[in-house]
Amino acid sequence: MHELSLVQGLFSQVKEAASRHHARKVTRVVVKIGPYSGVVMDSFTFAFEVLKEDEELLRHAHLEIIRPGARLCCSLCGREVDAESGHPDFKDETLQSQLFSKGKTCPHCGKGNLYPSGGDEILLMQIEME
Amino acid sequence: MCDTCGCQTTKHSHQDRKLLEINKSLLEANDSVARKNRKHFGEIGARAINLISSPGAGKTTLLEKTAELLSGEFDFAVIEGDIETERDAQRIRAKGIPAVQITTGGACHLDASLVHKGLHELQHTVPESGLDLVFIENVGNLVCPAAFDLGEHKRVVMVSVPEGSDKPAKYPRAFMGSDLLIISKMDLLPYFDFSLEEASREARRLNPDIKIMALSSVTGQGMEQWRDYLAGLTKI
Repeated sequence: MHELSLVQGLFSQVKEAASRHHARKVTRVVVKIGPYSGVVMDSFTFAFEVLKEDEELLRHAHLEIIRPGARLCCSLCGREVDAESGHPDFKDETLQSQLFSKGKTCPHCGKGNLYPSGGDEILLMQIEME
Repeated sequence: MCDTCGCQTTKHSHQDRKLLEINKSLLEANDSVARKNRKHFGEIGARAINLISSPGAGKTTLLEKTAELLSGEFDFAVIEGDIETERDAQRIRAKGIPAVQITTGGACHLDASLVHKGLHELQHTVPESGLDLVFIENVGNLVCPAAFDLGEHKRVVMVSVPEGSDKPAKYPRAFMGSDLLIISKMDLLPYFDFSLEEASREARRLNPDIKIMALSSVTGQGMEQWRDYLAGLTKI
């Protein structure tokens, strides 16, 4: 994906908010990145650490990434499954094996296929500043 | 050690620390332009379709065929996205359809502000009666275009028979966010190990609401369905 430009977009939002609140420095930035967003976490963190060096305001900022678990929804009964903890079979599996391996049906009704539900968010949640 | 910031001295306070709740997309800059584009498309009476596929799946050929068969039924225009060259826009114009070319100069996807520019350029060539449809042909790529809202009303993803039926499983996001999947180059089905059933099943596993159509711009297979799909959009 475009982690570098995402972080640039993040910084311009943070700087705008910080200047509105007359902050001297930003100490913490909290983002939420969904499991189906396509963002590579390591690249995102790397871009954050590299780019913050060029920003007086953000130089001491700590990045916190909230990673909500993958959610799957049943195409028949409509109930949701927490892919990481709600179904023992899905623990630590990729989206691929959760969805495409044979015999993986809804744990509630036992019949429906599961599909990814939400999880494509890339959000700036909180900024802590002084 | 200071409990709040972790630095070695405790002789300072953090009383002036402020926590702001934001809850905004990192793509907000793009998304706000996309919302304007959507309004703008509406003002010229058009529904916009964002056409996404890998390079060479047959996006431009489908639009040429659409011009040949359906230009009497719909007034439409095309915004072409490519890294380089005017070639696709020239191909569309040769069929008598207004087209503008956006060359990204390296970027692997269109974004809302590029489309905004294209839309303004397009307005010079649009008939006074307005348009029914605007096709936005994205840069050939199944990865990055999926993340960028361009202000379209419908997103159409295309996979051609020679690419293989595993594309939905390999590039999930493009299929999760699309309204319609077109399987193109159906005339080549006898020569490739492509399973229409597998591609359809896996696309529906990612997105149970996705519509699926099998087309060939060469034989005309499925063009009737494509016509009906477009007619359904312009009636709304």
